[in-house]
Amino acid sequence: MARLPLILVSAAALALGGCVQTRQYADVEFAPPQGDYDLVVMRPYVSVGVVTTGGLVEPRADWTEQARTNLLQALREQQAGRGGRTLVLENREGIQGVSPQDIANLERLFTAVGSSIVLHRYMGQYLPTKRRQGIDWTMGEDAVAFGRATGMEYALFLYAQDSFASTGRTAVQALGIVGCFIGFCAPQGGGGQGAYAALVDLRTGEVVWFNLLQTSSLLPGVRFGDIRTPEGAAQMVERLVGRMRAGRHVRERQGQ
Amino acid sequence: MTHWITRRAALTGLGCACCAGLAASPAEARIRPADMRPLVGPGYRPTEQDEQGLWHEYERFEEEIAGSNLLIQDQRLASYLGGVVERVGGPAAGELRVYLAHVPEFNAFMTPTGFMVVFSGLLTRMRDEAQLSGVLAHEAGHFLRRHHIRRWRDLKRRTDFFTILAMGAGLGGAATGAYLGDWVRLAGIGTELTLAAYSRELEAEADAMGVRLIAESGYDPTAMPAVWRQLIGELDASAAMRRRHRRNQSLLATHPAPESRMHDLTISAEEVKDAGRTYDRGRDRYLAAIQPHRQRLLDDQVKLNDPGASLYIIHSLAEDGWNGLLRFYEGEAWRLRGRNGDRENANQSYALAVAFPDAPPEAWRAHGYALIGTGRPAEGRSALTRYLAMAPDAPDAAMVRYSLQQ
Repeated sequence: MARLPLILVSAAALALGGCVQTRQYADVEFAPPQGDYDLVVMRPYVSVGVVTTGGLVEPRADWTEQARTNLLQALREQQAGRGGRTLVLENREGIQGVSPQDIANLERLFTAVGSSIVLHRYMGQYLPTKRRQGIDWTMGEDAVAFGRATGMEYALFLYAQDSFASTGRTAVQALGIVGCFIGFCAPQGGGGQGAYAALVDLRTGEVVWFNLLQTSSLLPGVRFGDIRTPEGAAQMVERLVGRMRAGRHVRERQGQ
Repeated sequence: MTHWITRRAALTGLGCACCAGLAASPAEARIRPADMRPLVGPGYRPTEQDEQGLWHEYERFEEEIAGSNLLIQDQRLASYLGGVVERVGGPAAGELRVYLAHVPEFNAFMTPTGFMVVFSGLLTRMRDEAQLSGVLAHEAGHFLRRHHIRRWRDLKRRTDFFTILAMGAGLGGAATGAYLGDWVRLAGIGTELTLAAYSRELEAEADAMGVRLIAESGYDPTAMPAVWRQLIGELDASAAMRRRHRRNQSLLATHPAPESRMHDLTISAEEVKDAGRTYDRGRDRYLAAIQPHRQRLLDDQVKLNDPGASLYIIHSLAEDGWNGLLRFYEGEAWRLRGRNGDRENANQSYALAVAFPDAPPEAWRAHGYALIGTGRPAEGRSALTRYLAMAPDAPDAAMVRYSLQQ
């Protein structure tokens, strides 16, 4: 339940947008991980469902598992391309040297920090003192201790959802568009994606990079990827973490 | 509870909701326990796509709950609760899991996959194992009658129907030049009302299933209406002390009114009783299981700033006999309210509390300061000395020692 703000913002953007959108923020001194590094993906949450005629999203277990496998595979390959080794934490018992309780605490801490980032960076509650400062949030000593105990340098928190319009929903969408020609213009949302990724530097405990992705369309049958397929999953990973930009100061120094 | 959120969120997302039965009957008919057959058997696993999807989502949720730092960590109490659930769980007994959350509210909820969360506030209020078993059996009833998936399907059907209706009305209206928007809005209200009515029907089913389950496993079925009588008393007492009226039941309520639940359960309890059978209330077992936590439970309750409810709960528990703990917290409820005359009531309760052998150390401290404040310093000091002897490492021990030196 505590994830609600994060999910809400993905859902809201999903309903409003009509395209692919990403918006990333980085620490001003952030340099994307490159070369030899260890990254742990913290219990990624993936959910794929079907949109009913009435507009509800019904989760599908088989699609979700498929998408999860594909996304993680794509992420491993993408990270390997940068030189990194990726460990995916499937459950809280999955890592040596840290108790499941500590992992749970870290996850809850991220939920709080992540919600704060979303609130102040994506939902309009901008903080005047944080203007042009990228993201300036930290997970503190707990994250550093986690990094020390596991030998990991980065932690990635990942959430992805995807949904597909049922035949009934597609028909409703079509009617909504057709209606425009006779004076009843009521475009309806169909399926779409919502995802976020957050990178924590475990050497400093700071959240160094955050990205939010949405794809959606009011036109029936139009989609911007399908994470149930390896290609679609790779596309989402590319949109979400593939185009990681360096922080403002780093870019200024590089004269970009 | 969880599906309530889902439904409201879904309807809000829809913009409005819909209509099929504006003639929603205000007094829904009682569901007979005899009609409540379990719909799932041992080892039940979903086979249909929508239910599999629902389970898949809840598996992650259970992982969150199981690792939550709100859970009360007490292996003995956990296995006690597990034992009661197993006794009343019917054919699903082996599938059910219980998590006890430290939340001082009268609530419990069931999930589609068979784990339930019980709030500690429930344990504060229950007078014996039979009462507890009634609530747990009600929750088990949700699982046995497959309520989550039935409700989800009902929600799907009705939102589908409404959407088609709304689109049809829009297109038809545009084609013919008629404005049907008000009718669509009315249909929306009707849908929301029927969804709520269905939710109440399922709650009534769970009550009927629950009362049957506890009677079959040998608990006194009249314990279930008794729980509702207590809750009604508590809500009234709480409202009275706030000088407010209790909110009336609305047509959008997801649960039937406590009065109607009590009424139906009273009849059903008689129906499921076997004339020759003796029924168990398990009061001693219950008290032994919650004993290590009872002080914390009462402490949580009195700190909710709801003196009417707190005093009602304490007095209802005291119907089985007063003890030092109950008297002390009766005093605390008065003291924390702090209006004119409350101090005197509190002092009286503290004096009564320390007469019991089980009075907690804090009762002696409160009694001691009360005596000092009312011109009986010598007796007061001896009470404070007693407090220090009982709780030498109390966080405020140094302060109390200082008081003694004055």
